[in-house]
Amino acid sequence: MKKLFPLQHVMGYVSSLILSVVALTVLFFDMSFGMQMTVLLVCAIIQMSVQLFVFMHIGETGSKTSLYTNIAYALFVGIVTIFGTLFTMIWGYQ
Amino acid sequence: MKIDHSVPLEYSTEENKNRIFGFWVFLGAEIVMFSTLFAVYFTLWNRTGNGPTAKEIFEIGPVLIETFLLLTSSFTIGLAINSMRQGLMKATMGFFAVTLLLGLGFLGVEIYEFVTYVNEGATLQTNAFMSSLFTLLGLHGAHVTLGLVWGGGLMLQMKREGFTPDTANKSFIFSLYWHFLDVVWIFIFSFVYLKGLM
Amino acid sequence: MKWDEFFVTGEPMIYGAMVSIVLVSIAIVVGLTYFKKWGYLWREWLTTVDHKKIGIMYIISALIMLFRGGVDGLLMRAQLAVPENGLLDSQHYNEIFTTHGVIMILFMAMPFIIGLMNVVVPLQIGARDVAFPRLNAVSFWLFFAGAMLFNISFVIGGSPDAGWTAYFPLSSIEFSPTVGNNYYSIALQIAGLGTLMTGVNFIVTILKMRAPGMTLMRMPMFTWSILVTSVIIVFAFPVLTIALLLMMLDRQFGSQFFTMANGGMDMLWANLFWVWGHPEVYIVILPAFGIFSEVISTFSRKNLYGYKSMVFSMVIISILSFVVWAHHFYTMGHGAMVNGFFSVTTMAIAIPTGIKIFNWLFTMQKGRIEFTTPMLYALAFIPIFTIGGVTGVMLAMASADYQYHNTMFLVAHFHYTLIPGTVFGVLSGMYYWFPKLFGFRLNDKQGKLAFWVIMTSFNVTFLPLFFLGLNGMTRRMYTYSAETGFGPLNLLASIGSVGLAVGFAILVYNIYWSFRYAPRENNGDPWNARTLEWSTPSPVPHYNFAKMPNIENRDAFWFAKKSGKSLYTEEYSDIHMPNNSGQPFILGAIFMFFGFFMVFNWWVGAVIGALGIFIMMIVRSFERDHGHYIPVKEVVATEQRLRGEQV
Repeated sequence: MKKLFPLQHVMGYVSSLILSVVALTVLFFDMSFGMQMTVLLVCAIIQMSVQLFVFMHIGETGSKTSLYTNIAYALFVGIVTIFGTLFTMIWGYQ
Repeated sequence: MKIDHSVPLEYSTEENKNRIFGFWVFLGAEIVMFSTLFAVYFTLWNRTGNGPTAKEIFEIGPVLIETFLLLTSSFTIGLAINSMRQGLMKATMGFFAVTLLLGLGFLGVEIYEFVTYVNEGATLQTNAFMSSLFTLLGLHGAHVTLGLVWGGGLMLQMKREGFTPDTANKSFIFSLYWHFLDVVWIFIFSFVYLKGLM
Repeated sequence: MKWDEFFVTGEPMIYGAMVSIVLVSIAIVVGLTYFKKWGYLWREWLTTVDHKKIGIMYIISALIMLFRGGVDGLLMRAQLAVPENGLLDSQHYNEIFTTHGVIMILFMAMPFIIGLMNVVVPLQIGARDVAFPRLNAVSFWLFFAGAMLFNISFVIGGSPDAGWTAYFPLSSIEFSPTVGNNYYSIALQIAGLGTLMTGVNFIVTILKMRAPGMTLMRMPMFTWSILVTSVIIVFAFPVLTIALLLMMLDRQFGSQFFTMANGGMDMLWANLFWVWGHPEVYIVILPAFGIFSEVISTFSRKNLYGYKSMVFSMVIISILSFVVWAHHFYTMGHGAMVNGFFSVTTMAIAIPTGIKIFNWLFTMQKGRIEFTTPMLYALAFIPIFTIGGVTGVMLAMASADYQYHNTMFLVAHFHYTLIPGTVFGVLSGMYYWFPKLFGFRLNDKQGKLAFWVIMTSFNVTFLPLFFLGLNGMTRRMYTYSAETGFGPLNLLASIGSVGLAVGFAILVYNIYWSFRYAPRENNGDPWNARTLEWSTPSPVPHYNFAKMPNIENRDAFWFAKKSGKSLYTEEYSDIHMPNNSGQPFILGAIFMFFGFFMVFNWWVGAVIGALGIFIMMIVRSFERDHGHYIPVKEVVATEQRLRGEQV
């Protein structure tokens, strides 16, 4: 069993289930909008990291610096696109 | 073709290493692609015209099932690669099959969800919100569908050829793809459904 | 779709084009049959995975597209030469400026650059091919399918007519009911997929396939520029993919992204277009910077001044290029905060670009400058591009931009950056690397004549546009009255454009003449250059390097020549090479038919095409192709023949 279900993977799976449930609480507890968004964001980022590091083994090869740079650059462009678009089209629009 | 036996089979040749690295770069492009769709969705999500709003059409039940199915499938494809690295053919095939079945289940629930929306009169043409919702979910669903065909093909190849540098490499890349789809779903779950229902 | 709208009718010029397309096609088929070249074409070109041949095919396509786009430009200038001209009607004029823009950027500048990087990058880093040779062929055929699809719009169904930016709501189905903008969204999508794959391919090639000892900071500057460009391609093109997808959904499937009712937001298109569009500008300019760095360093006989700051400024440009896009629509009406932010980021780009200009100048300082044709283009680039850059800073000021926006001033500005930057860059690169591919140089006298005619005519054509713009002439107006006073300067610009046409005709003659008569040089290094590609024999054997070079410093080949030490210390061995395949070509052909049926909403054909694409992917997945080995005997024989050396 241990061969087929290594502890790290099981922990990763359990933690992603727990994090999904934690994210769900924004619907049932009374929180401010900022608090809700923080909970969602923190849970999503941890879950993404679980996938990247535990399941996808991003750090296992010699080219991990390039891989981290690649993901970081992609996230930079993605975040700039999302928030830049909101900034120009909604928040900064007269 | 030089095979290096000191590393897992999927990394064992120069071409294999390049393919895995190249796929990571491609996933970087996919991150930007989905980010753009999120940007469109966040810009348009409360511009509903005469059509329904997010709060009116979202239901948490099917979404939770979808999330559970996809999270589990991400877990099982991880286990498949873990078994593959130990040379356990039967277990690998089993986990692959479970992964694809879970993916199929996810797709079924998503189609059910789409049909429900359409029956409520909320189609791609209804308003900007529905257009962006259908496109974001649809593109993710299309990725899952492609993954089902791809994964099925890989199972056939593994069955025919066993674990070779080729099949191991392809399976590992497939696992990267599948985990990535799970990451995208996590963001859809949090920032489309939960935020929409808040 | 009514059948009588299928072919474009009613324009003598378009009938002429139809006749010439048919005649040229017949001539090609007859010629290939008569000279029995079908087999040669298939074996050597259509199925090739050799990066050099793919590069040549890219460059030939780019040159053909240069003439297609150039004719569009000439027609526009002819129409504007005198007031109230009736040469073109407004619809035809709209189509022509749209296709001019799209073709020049996406089907001329991009493939020319991708062609040069295909040819040069593996040679500069000491690789035998790119990381994924088959994918490289797929990239080319997808680009080619997209380009052909876009070009047939001219005679079948009508060309897009909403500008190369295709702003909504003008490009929506409501205001542009012909299939023209369907061509835009689908042809660009297909070509864009190819470009994205090229980006992935070259990142992996440059990061993973360098010769032993070639660290990142020992790479030639052109390779650095391509690495940075590929990164921008990979992260910018997905945005275009989505934007075009949404455009297609809006036009053909009734979605509401950019509509004016039901919550749609028309300016969101402009936003997405420029999120991709501004990085795209740097995709076409950075490789030109790389080419100029190589050329200036070679012909000044000095190493490149400020290598690290060159690299650093390119990386900075690649990041800044993603945070400036809103300067393309300052006048949309967003607040001072947004305009202020994008104004500052835009002006910041002038800093790294300025660093590069000074580095080139310092490279030349005290150098022994040799005025060859490629060097002339590089020398002309610096002052002319600076005019483009300075007017760019003027346009970057949001409040002043309300005056310049959408005027001829803007048109002059971007031609002053793109022509001396990209066009001079790729021409310089073509003259510079030509002997590497074909074993002889293009005639220098004719090349210089072409250069002087092109450079002078360029300024005569585009300098007047600055003044026309400041006088209030907007871009894209198809005619004007004599009272506006725009007449004389427009006539001057039109005369200049004739000069440009003459210059490019000389350039073509130069290529033709050199193929027939230029002396063949048995010399891999005709320019006495510095980087690794010149250490191979010309023309390069298809395996590039018989032995792997061993790199110990920057400009390794130069130092090897100076010290007399060979870069190649290994023994000869069998060489592993990829196999040719017809699949990429077939896939490209299927994509083109799929795209064509999509354009016309013919779903049966589109579904069959889509199935064909999936079948090709499955076939590829089940295929096992591990390439072949060239036996060491054959390698030694080839090397002896090419280098004439005793091995």
